[in-house]
Order: sequence, then C-alpha cells, then structure tokens
Amino acid sequence: MPNQQVFFLLLFLSVFLLTACAPQSVIDKPATGVLPIADNPQLPDVIKSLISQSDSQYINNDFAGALATLERAVRINPRYAEVWSRMAQVYLKQGKLEQARQHAKRSNSVIKNNDSLREFNNQIIKPNSNDIQKEQLH
Amino acid sequence: MTTQKSKTPKNPKKPTQKKVIKRKATKKKAIRKTTIKRKASNKNTSNKQTSNKKTSRKKTTKKSSGRFGFLFNRYSLLGLIAFLTIFSSYLVYLNIQITDKMSGRIWSLPSHVYARPLELYQGKYLTVKQLVSELTQTEYTRVQNRPTKAGQYRILNESHFEIISRDFTYWDGEQKSQGIRLSIYNNKISILHELYSDKTLPIFRLEPVKIAGIYPSTKEDRQLIKLDEVPDDLVLALLTVEDRRFYDHWGVDPRSIIRAMLANLMAGGTVQGGSTLTQQLVKNLFLSPERTLSRKINEALMALLLEINYDKSVILETYINEVYLGQNGAQQIHGFELASQYYFASSLRKLRRDQMALLVGLVKGPSWYEPRKHPERARARRDQVLKLMHEQDALTQAQLNKYMALGLGLAKKPRFSANRFPALVDLVKRQLKQDYNEEDLKSSGLQVFTSIDPFIQSQAEASVKRVISGLEKNYQQAEQLQTSLIVASSQQGEIQAMVSDRKPTFPGFNRSLDAVRQIGSLIKPAIYLTALQQPHRYTLASKLDDSPLHIKTSKEKLWSPQNYDKKFSGDILLFNALNKSRNVPTVRLGLDIGLSDISDTLHNLGVKREIPAYPSMTLGAFSLSPFDVANMYQTFAANGFNVPLKVIREVLNKDGQPLKRYPLESEKTIDEKSIYLVNHVLHQVTQTGTAKSLSNLFPQSLAGKTGTTDDLRDSWFAGFSDNQLAVAWIGRDDNQSTGLTGSSGALRLWSDLFKHLNIDSMELIQPAGVNKIWIDAESGGLSNKNCLGAVELPFIQGSEPTEKAECKSAGFIEQIKRFFN
Repeated sequence: MPNQQVFFLLLFLSVFLLTACAPQSVIDKPATGVLPIADNPQLPDVIKSLISQSDSQYINNDFAGALATLERAVRINPRYAEVWSRMAQVYLKQGKLEQARQHAKRSNSVIKNNDSLREFNNQIIKPNSNDIQKEQLH
Repeated sequence: MTTQKSKTPKNPKKPTQKKVIKRKATKKKAIRKTTIKRKASNKNTSNKQTSNKKTSRKKTTKKSSGRFGFLFNRYSLLGLIAFLTIFSSYLVYLNIQITDKMSGRIWSLPSHVYARPLELYQGKYLTVKQLVSELTQTEYTRVQNRPTKAGQYRILNESHFEIISRDFTYWDGEQKSQGIRLSIYNNKISILHELYSDKTLPIFRLEPVKIAGIYPSTKEDRQLIKLDEVPDDLVLALLTVEDRRFYDHWGVDPRSIIRAMLANLMAGGTVQGGSTLTQQLVKNLFLSPERTLSRKINEALMALLLEINYDKSVILETYINEVYLGQNGAQQIHGFELASQYYFASSLRKLRRDQMALLVGLVKGPSWYEPRKHPERARARRDQVLKLMHEQDALTQAQLNKYMALGLGLAKKPRFSANRFPALVDLVKRQLKQDYNEEDLKSSGLQVFTSIDPFIQSQAEASVKRVISGLEKNYQQAEQLQTSLIVASSQQGEIQAMVSDRKPTFPGFNRSLDAVRQIGSLIKPAIYLTALQQPHRYTLASKLDDSPLHIKTSKEKLWSPQNYDKKFSGDILLFNALNKSRNVPTVRLGLDIGLSDISDTLHNLGVKREIPAYPSMTLGAFSLSPFDVANMYQTFAANGFNVPLKVIREVLNKDGQPLKRYPLESEKTIDEKSIYLVNHVLHQVTQTGTAKSLSNLFPQSLAGKTGTTDDLRDSWFAGFSDNQLAVAWIGRDDNQSTGLTGSSGALRLWSDLFKHLNIDSMELIQPAGVNKIWIDAESGGLSNKNCLGAVELPFIQGSEPTEKAECKSAGFIEQIKRFFN
C-alpha cells in the first residue's frame, strides 16, 4: 500500500534525521583500558598526534610515558582542555587521586564551550571519584 | 714510544723503524687476526715450554747425584715454591685490582645538562636564524648538496631546510635518525615533511643542546666515545706515534724497551720511552707517576694481566677515553673527544687529519705543546706526526704538503665551558641535590634534561647587557647596578632562562636564588587578592581611603606611610588603588583584612619563606628572592594554579636508562574568580597604570606589577603574557640607592627582553559566576558605557554595586573609542 510505504519512509527519515541531529558526545564511553576519544575538531594535528601517542603508551600501561607525552602537548599549547583532562585520567589510572583532581580542575579552567568535557572532569573532581578509578582499574 | 704526561722532552723522538702498520679494514678484523696469531703463538710457546721442561728434567737427574745435592735441591725447591706462591698471590692481587676497576666505573663521569629539545611542528614560531643557531649548537654540519649523513643539513632559498637528525635517547625512548624537510614562512614552520617524501610529520624533536657539565671534585672531564666512532685516521696516527706493535705485543714490548734503552744511552738521557699503550693506560689508571723500579715492574705485570683479561679493542677504547690531553683552568681534559671539543670546538669525527695529528702529538706532553700557549712547538709536533703518517703511507706527499701548510685551526674559545650558564647550572644542581648525593652527581655520568631554552637564555643575556649599561649611562645616580632576570613558561612553571649577574657568564653570587631583597609594591596584588576573596566586603569598586595615616608601631614610634608622589587622593576605588600602586589605601586595606590572611595568601601563591606580621609588610617591607617572586607571580599567570618552578624534566643514567622524571605538578590554591579580578587589574596596570609604557610597545595583552623599595634601593617588575613569565630585579649589592623606580629600571629590562621573544597575548577566560558591569570610576556606582568616567569591571556574582551613579555623556569621540575597544 502506497500510504503505508510513505509512512515507513517518513518514519525512517525522521529517525535518521533525529540521530544525525543528536549532539555528538565528546567523550565516548571508554572501552576497557582505552581512553575516551577527545573529539575536538579544533585540535591541531600536532596535539592530536601527541594525544594518540600517549593513548598507545596508556594502553601499554606506560603511564609515566603517557604523562610525559601529554606534557609535551601542554608545552606546545596549554589551552587545550582535552590534554589536561587526559592527564587527569592517567593520574586516576595510577591511583593518584589528588593529582587527577588538580588536572581535571586545570582542564575546567581552560574549557570554553564543552559541557560534556566539563561534566567528565567534574566526575573526577567530585569526592567519590575513586569509584571511577575502580571502574578504570577493572 | 713516549710516556704519557712526560716532562718537557729535550729532543722529540724520531721514528726508528719504517715498518708499515697495516691497520686492518676494521678494528675488529685486526683484533681477530691478532687473536689467531696469539693462539698460534700460545701453541708454540707451550710446545717450547714442554721441551724445555723435558731438558731440564734430564739435567736435574744428572746433577742430583752429588752428596749435598739432595739437600740443596730440596731447599731450592721449597724456596721456589714459596716464591711462586707469593708471586702468584701478588699476581692475583694485581688482577683483582684490574678487573675491579675495569668492570666497575672506570672513571668519574661528570653529569651532563641538556637544554630542552626543539619541538618542530607546523605553525610553530621559529625564525631561520633561530633554527640555524640551534643546529649549530647541536653540531650539525651545513652542506651544499643533499645531506646524506646524520648530523648534516642544507638550506635552500634561505627558508627551506633539509636535515638528517641523529639517533638520540630521550627519557621516553630512542628516536632514530631521520631525514626531515621543513619550510619557514613568516617566522613560522609552514611545512614539515619526511625528507624526499610528501609524508607530513605532525611533530619532530631535534636533539637538545648539551649546555653544561657537573664535574667531579678531581676536576676531570671527559666525553666518552666508542671505538667504532673514532676516526680510523686518528687510531692510525696514534698507533704510528705511540705503539706501532700494539696489535702484536702482550702489553709489554721487549723490542721497544731495548730500542728505547739504546736510544737513551746514545743520547745520554731520556729521549724515548719504551712503554706500550697498555703500559701507559695501566700507569694512568692504577699507578702513581713516580719513576721507580718497583713501579715499572708493577706496570709491566699489570699490562700483561690487562692484555690477558681484555681484548685489544677494549684497551684501545679505554686509552682513547682516558689519555690526558690538556688543562682548562682547574679542569683536566681527558680523552680525545673532549680534547677535540676543547681545542677545535668540534667533535672528533669532524676533525681534519692535521687536527687529529695535533691531538695525537699532544699525548707526548700536553702542557709543553699546549697549542694556544705554544703554537710554534705545537705546529712542529703536529708536522712531525704528519710526517710519520706519511712514512706509514697514511698520507700522500701532496696531502702531507697540504696539511703542513695549514694553520693549527684552533677554535677561539672552547665549545664547552663549565661556566657558560653558571646561574642556571647552579639551579639545576640545587634541584638535583634533592634526589642525588653530591658525589653521584659529579661522577655517575647522569644525563639531565632540562627546560632551559638556549634562545631565550641568549636573549635574556643580551637584554641584561644592553639595559644595564644603558641605565648606567642615562641615570647619573645609577652605578654598580646588579641584576637578576628569570624567565619561565607561565602555565607550566618551567624555568627557561636565568641571569644572575650583570656579566651573565660570571659564576659568582646567584642573585636570582640568593639575593633576598625587599619586594615593595610587588606585595600589593596579594593584599588585593585577599580582600577580593571576601566579595561581601570588597569588590573592585569598593572605596578605599587615601588620606594621611598614622600607625603606632610601639610605645613611642609612629609610622606614617606615604604614597610615592607624597600626595593623598582622598577616596579612591579599589581597582584604581592597585592600578596606580597607592601605598596608603593599601596599608589600610591590609590592616583591615588582617596580616595573617595576607600571609596565608602569599603561601598559597607559592611563597615558602616566613612572612613577618608587622604593618609595613603591607608595603612589601620584607624580603624575597627573585625566584620566590617568580613562584608567586606564576600562580597569577596560571589563574590560581600554583606550579612550583622547576628546571629539570628528566634524568637518565650514563647508559641512557631512565632514572627519574619530574612531572608537571599543579595545585589550585586560589579560587578562579578572585584571581580573575586581580589579573584584570594587573592587565590594566600595563595599559593605564604604573607600567603603561608597555601599551605603546606591545600589541599583545600583558599583565604585571612594578615594585620600588625605600630610597630606590630595589627596582622590580614581575609580568606575564599567556606563554611567558619574567621577573626582573635591579639593585646594588651594597643595598644603596639605585636611583631607579620599578618603572624606570626593571620594567625596561623586562620589556627589552619581551620585545625579543615570541609573546602570546594574555587570555583571561572569564569564569562562571563573574559578570562584567560598567561602573563610575569616581563613585563606584552603576553606570553605562556611554557615561563619562565609566569603566567596565568584573564582579563576583552577587557583589555587584546596586546604587546608580550620575551619568554624564562620555562624548562622541570617547564613545567611538569604547566601541572599538
């Protein structure tokens, strides 16, 4: 029936458009042992490249190496909230909660328009952030 | 053969035989051949020994037939056994000495301090001049054609670089040699590719400049080099001159000894030594320089033992790194690599043959032939070595003539110097001493990676020289000025440059760390910050009283603080009192909020010293070092995050293994709202306040504070941009007046430096919970941007003024100005 086809077509299109229009989550749900992707199109290639390198180090449990690489990114430009947030996550993984909180705060201090990243940082900053750590450790 | 460190030779030795030393294609081959030879000779020796033993047994049988023969033989046998026991024990003792030293740390190795590696990436600010300077300091060779080897580069059309980097071990692993191509356009890297490829490189690290050494108490310095890296020509020259039969003897060469004895007898004195390289090494490593028979015997025995225990290549490599080749003040120059740096400011592998010949010639007597003091002697000795090389077919006649016609080719200044950056190295040492003991620091060969930026350091040094001499010329009162200038990255708190003396390379009193001086008005931002942390009491629009003030400090003493202009302005708004650095309202404000609260704020800002709790502290009548001040202002620059200033990033051991990393530590010690308000005013200081001269010099947004102490004894300026923080101090060591205020002295030094740096405009991100409102600058009441005397100020939410001020129109021109601002 043509009416039914039109109905399904419209339904499909509306679902498709709604999906496309939905705000993209900046912080994806992290896979086990993998950091969420800092999906900021404004990040220059050099910062993306260093973040990617630090991710590899993180996956290989080279946390000190991951931090050293992220520090290189901070030296190049300390205004990228994603980098500070990543450092917070590495510290969290290391069990250094206070350092993790401080770096999450630092990330918040340079965020301009990124509510989801701020929310993610706040999860680390809040007093029970050791729960997140436990999750990450698992 | 000569004796190392020998006394003044009367008659330099002459070649006695023309035997050609055929250095094998590779040293390994030569050694392998020697080993085969040795095995063969071992067999021969053992055969001979067996036959000798048989003969002696026969003889013994015949002789033992006498009456007392039995007794005699018994005693001599016992004696022989006793002698052999003692002798072999002694040999074991010597052997332990040798193996202990050779297997452990042979030398005290100085620690080496590296600058930051230069990070290359697209968009990085970098001038052609800066890159060339960096490549020169890291000993890259500029070539005209395509670079083919690691350590070479070429420049095309004055802005395109082709570079082949070297292997380098960083804290996070080894970076292999790689070819890169980069272009610089408008002082920025516009392209960064792999060499001869279109593949873009997101980032590349250029190996860091080695800037200093931390030396052992023996003042020995050396730079180790592996035998593979030693040029063949140098080895050939060395063996030709010092030990032609090196690959053939067993540590001691009887032929050479006899030849030397004969030559000495003929000359009636010591003109030639018979020591092999192995003996020379033994003497330097294990024995005293005295010339006695027992020492000679020990030398021979130990040389034999060294040869038994170690391969020829190990002995040669150790010799090349050990040999004494000169003296740089109190510092001894050991090894060919360091000598090459010292005499030619170049690495060994880059030397010409005539330069290598000179180094080899120096082995005979480094002080007698010291080329900077005795160029003629040195040249004669070099030519002698060149001739010997020619005799051994290592040089053709044409090459010999060419090299002998050349000058000595010495560098004017040695490349390395312990005192090149004395203040910075002192800081590095002090920070290292928190984790390493003094002896390890000086002898373990640590590789210390720092944040020191050679470019910024050179600019800081140039600014100090330029400004201090200019001030002394222009201000008659100003003389005997001393200074300190510290530069750090404002967000990460990494020290990039530091000058502690008007003569930047003078290794004296480290004023940046140890000159503890009154800070004057530099205290004021801390006082206003303390006040603004109580928004229900103070805002930037609060009225302060700028009228005469008398404070009873003791029973009979009265303290009456004055403003710098000796005038009183009546009521003044808080932001303006800080902007114009008014003293009297600041004292009132400080006393109102409490001295202990101010002290707490100072500690939160990173000041670690005790702060005295008396009223005059509100005007900075207490002392801090420039380094303390830099720590304090870093917290302002980083919007309330205190990052203790550091200079060391990582430490590796001598083999390149990571030992320790000094991570970026950051702690939020001041709330972002109140520090935002203060930073807003510190920016105004550079626009309309005591440092307004900066507004004409810099298009970038900056922030800072001047400081002047009583009788103009100290002149301070602490300021920052988004990426750079610097603290400048000018004063006199005798604490007399300099005749300079913060604005007329230190600010000039600061701005001169910043003019030569790549400065990013300060970016103040308005935190949530802060609103900007137009207020009347006179009354502090609400106003709007079209009103005369209106200023826009930030307020912590809920603390905004509520009363309205009378509005007089600002006029058309003023409104247009505001529109564009």
